[in-house]
Amino acid sequence: MIEVENLRKQYGKKQNTFIALKSVTFSVPEGETVAIVGKSGSGKSTLMHTMSGLDAPSSGTVTIDGENIIKLTGKELDHFRAKKIGFIFQSFFVQANETVEDNIGLPLEIADVPKKMRKSKIAAALKAVDLSDKIHAKARDLSGGQKQRLAIARAIVNEPRVLFADEPTGNLDSVTGDKIEKLLFDYSKEFGATLVVVTHDEELASKCAMQISLKDGEVVAIRTSKKKEARRA
Amino acid sequence: MRRVDIVRRAGRSLRQAKARTLLTSLAIAVGAFTLTLAIAAGEGSRQYADKIINSNIDPQMLMIAKDKTLFGEGGGMTGGLREYSENATEYGGLKLEALSSKDLKRIKANKNIEKVTPTYLVNAQYVSFQQKKGKKYTSDVTVYDTSVRPEVVAGSLPGKSQQIADDEVIVPEAFLETLGVKEYGKFIGSRVTLRLAKPPKELSEKEVQRIMMTDGLEGLEKATKPKTRDVKLNVRAVSKQSVTSLSASSALFISENTAQELSDYLTKGTDQYQSYISVMALVKKGIDPATVKDELTKQNIYAMTAEDLQGLLFTIVNLIQGIVMGFGVLALIASIFGIINTQYISVLERTQQIGLMKALGMRGKDVAKLFRYEAAWIGFLGGVIGSAVAWILGTSLNPWITETIGLGTGNYLLVFQILPVVGLIVGLMIVGIVAGYFPARKAAKLDPIEALRTE
Repeated sequence: MIEVENLRKQYGKKQNTFIALKSVTFSVPEGETVAIVGKSGSGKSTLMHTMSGLDAPSSGTVTIDGENIIKLTGKELDHFRAKKIGFIFQSFFVQANETVEDNIGLPLEIADVPKKMRKSKIAAALKAVDLSDKIHAKARDLSGGQKQRLAIARAIVNEPRVLFADEPTGNLDSVTGDKIEKLLFDYSKEFGATLVVVTHDEELASKCAMQISLKDGEVVAIRTSKKKEARRA
Repeated sequence: MRRVDIVRRAGRSLRQAKARTLLTSLAIAVGAFTLTLAIAAGEGSRQYADKIINSNIDPQMLMIAKDKTLFGEGGGMTGGLREYSENATEYGGLKLEALSSKDLKRIKANKNIEKVTPTYLVNAQYVSFQQKKGKKYTSDVTVYDTSVRPEVVAGSLPGKSQQIADDEVIVPEAFLETLGVKEYGKFIGSRVTLRLAKPPKELSEKEVQRIMMTDGLEGLEKATKPKTRDVKLNVRAVSKQSVTSLSASSALFISENTAQELSDYLTKGTDQYQSYISVMALVKKGIDPATVKDELTKQNIYAMTAEDLQGLLFTIVNLIQGIVMGFGVLALIASIFGIINTQYISVLERTQQIGLMKALGMRGKDVAKLFRYEAAWIGFLGGVIGSAVAWILGTSLNPWITETIGLGTGNYLLVFQILPVVGLIVGLMIVGIVAGYFPARKAAKLDPIEALRTE
């Protein structure tokens, strides 16, 4: 369950203030898939950053799993992100010089997962994204789609409760993009994890159970698609 | 994040930028190279100095003098203003207060002293050799020290603690080279003549008048003419040239009795008669010479132990070593800026990576550690390269250095030891960490959102 209440974010001071988010309020049930849609500059990226604890809002609360993450100290917040949240970015951000294994190992190292347990977790994550045979390959030798699959493996290796994906298919062709989408939805379904997708892509957004439309930092519409209901049944 | 994981990641990052890592560490390697050589040279010099002292001076020996300035204390040998004393003796153009017979008695009265040998000043006007007729030479003449037996190339030495006979002399090998004597065997038993010249007595006006009255001008001439005496000695042995034994290769050795007799002859009638600038005392076995030194100091007699002499030599060695190390440290300081620069560039290049790590929940201080450890790795690598090159180069050049500056076989200028080198490498890792501090702080403070906002 994610509850966002009166979330406000402004940049700059006095005459130069720019309000990115104006009192955003909504809630996402546990295990739901959500798309945050809107044009460039609508504040969707800022919303994702503040929701995920990457950025601090000017005011308001974000409650994830019953915990108000705005109140956490820097250390607690880092720990929270490491344990509970996974990130996927448009431009992958895989470490090109490192092997697939080392890329996926990073969140495990950060979350202090004991070394013995890492191997099996990495193997499981690679299996989920169908990259098991590339475990020792350098990330730079992978194709775009493979890189994003690697990024997903890295995001899910710690079994986060919430997965944030920022334009996950933005840099991919439609066939590859479809595969990536499927992986994300599958993870959400299998682990009951909440998936938050930030996207321009109407088609991708429509696949989510919930769509939150932003305009100029305000929520203009929240739709819950019936498809989701149908899928659940 | 675990330290071991951070260290491993740091090592991996460096491997991925091999050329840059290597070049940065080479800058440190230059400093490490210089420092390793300086440390090795210092150690080698100390060992060499130790060897010289041990082969020249009995550790139980005390050098005793009335005048502290002889030991470089209280103004040193350069003179300066000192209290006038009637008991002063001219030495090396310097007035030094000599030990009086009273002082000698006091020294001899010390229960811990086994033997006292004054350092007799035997200034021969010239020396001539039977095998080189008509030629005159000058040479130092000293007492044969029974506690330090030199090696001989011809002839033989008496047993341990045995003095040579009063009409015998030991000649250093180097002298034979100067004389052009090839067959050492024939030289043994040949005659060496010391020409001693005793300065005339300084006459007062009254004495001059008295001599003029009794003996006339001729008498006066006789009285003011220096007296001379030839001392004939037989060569007992030729001492081997040794780099570590100083006196054995530079002076004629005569027996103690002869030296005393000649010294007395030269000084008789002057105020220097039986007063000595310094004496050598042998401290009884099992007694620390330093305690005897303290006892003597209370009686206003000053002494120097073998250890003191060693300290004096070490001061010089340390000074030279300090200068060389100073250059090494300068090289290191230059390399610190190299590390800072490299690490700053690395932070800029890896902005995204840092942003991602922070987004994934890596603590700022862990990010800082990552960069500091990378800098430490650079320091480690530089230290290993520099000291390894110095070690290999030094070890292979050692024989050549020994030959060139004539240290004598078995002595090496550069003595490498594992512990100082390990210490140096650890020190360089710390230097690396210090140099990596600012870039690491920059990385730690990076805003992940800013860092991930690309394209």
